[in-house]
Amino acid sequence: MSPQHPLCRAIEPDLLSVAAGEAETAAAGRVEAHVATCGLCREELANYRALEGMMDTLRRAPLRDDDATLARAQLASRLSDLRSRLVGFGIFPSPLGRILIGRSEQGVALVQYLPADGALSAHVRRLLGEDAVEDLPATEGLRAELVDYLEGRRARLDWPLDLRRMRSDFQRRVLEATAALPYGAVTSYAGIAARIGAPAAVRPVAQALRWNPLPIVIPCHRVIGGSGALIGYAGRRVELKQRLLAVEGVKTVAARNDFKVDREAMYTMVTGDREYCVPTCGSLLSKPLSELTLFGTRDRAEAAGFAPCTSCRPDLHPLPA
Amino acid sequence: MGRVMAEDAFEAVVGAHHAEIRRYLLRITARGSDADDLSQETFLRAFRAYRALPPGSNVRAWLFTIATNLGRNHFRAQGRRRRAYAAAAMEMRPDAPDRADGHVMVEEARDRLERAVGELPGKQRLAFIMRKMHELEYAEIGASLSCSEESARAHVFQALRKVRRSLDGHLPLEMESRS
Repeated sequence: MSPQHPLCRAIEPDLLSVAAGEAETAAAGRVEAHVATCGLCREELANYRALEGMMDTLRRAPLRDDDATLARAQLASRLSDLRSRLVGFGIFPSPLGRILIGRSEQGVALVQYLPADGALSAHVRRLLGEDAVEDLPATEGLRAELVDYLEGRRARLDWPLDLRRMRSDFQRRVLEATAALPYGAVTSYAGIAARIGAPAAVRPVAQALRWNPLPIVIPCHRVIGGSGALIGYAGRRVELKQRLLAVEGVKTVAARNDFKVDREAMYTMVTGDREYCVPTCGSLLSKPLSELTLFGTRDRAEAAGFAPCTSCRPDLHPLPA
Repeated sequence: MGRVMAEDAFEAVVGAHHAEIRRYLLRITARGSDADDLSQETFLRAFRAYRALPPGSNVRAWLFTIATNLGRNHFRAQGRRRRAYAAAAMEMRPDAPDRADGHVMVEEARDRLERAVGELPGKQRLAFIMRKMHELEYAEIGASLSCSEESARAHVFQALRKVRRSLDGHLPLEMESRS
């Protein structure tokens, strides 16, 4: 091959293709014709063929450090971790507005009320994590059960939960105590603080519930103010709390910018007891709500496993419906 | 459920391609530890994107694209290019040269070949390794390097010419070409 000669320069790409065994027929023909008359290019073709041969040998030769065992094992572990963190979510309409449910391999990780339209807020996206993907099939069954629950056809959501989005161990304890509140029961923020052995931590309890990643499922709507006022829910949407409680048989009366549970209309139990009473039994009405658990109906109290008090006999003298 | 099936399918993807992708990354980084890290990262990224991959996609070429991008970012971020190139000639050498096919590999020529590959500019080197060591199609190489099939071919040809030139006077070619 003569570097100066335009014919040799022009044939070079074809010559490389022929050497690599990837030339089309026309190119091969051109190269054959050229090397028949050009000794330099004939030699160069042989050189490139030999070079291809060297590379072929190199390609098939074993490589140093070609041991993927460690990388495969680490990959398996990281993939398994990623899978367990990966959240699939669905967004759907419900009687309480647009709701997002997210689930991981471990269980339901997230329930969030969404505004009627618009993109997900930064807060929700942070909770979902960067690996979240929309996965309607994975959340369809949950959606159906949640709607049944919100329409009063189902009293339990027996979902495995993924509690890794808890902000702290304190929040986990608060939410576990809240999850133990029976369907149709209410207590106060101070009541939850007392249950977790931190009776002074009423505000921290309220904060922990405010950031509940699993509202409805972990029933923070069953936790109210010491006065019976509902106080707050899902930002400023206290009406959602009122509706959830109404579905469970807890009646409320409208108060200024809020709703209130009327203690005199609630079956009442000292937390930790096994019997429920009418509110006028003994000195119950003078006890702070933090020591009590209230039920809207006898059915709910008995469904939760409690018996009517043998002195005030709520079974014989029920509260007016 | 759809996801479970996708995950099982992904296990098969790892099984089929991890070793080769790691070998590719080993060739371009010349370091076993980098190949370990980047091959894991390749498959973690692939796992996240796998469900969005259209059915019937060329998974192998897609993995090469992810690995290539990670490899390029790695060099860019770490500024390790020079060092890797310098190391390449040493570390890419096989422990046991394969001479079963009767090739007479002159050691010095092979050293020069490896050094020449190590000294190629980025895209030419990646294109060359993808083509000559992993036998990818030019279109697949183009997709990996975000360029056209023609550009990919041109990168490989430019690389070939440079490698060829580096072997001037050191190739045992006369003997082979006359045999």
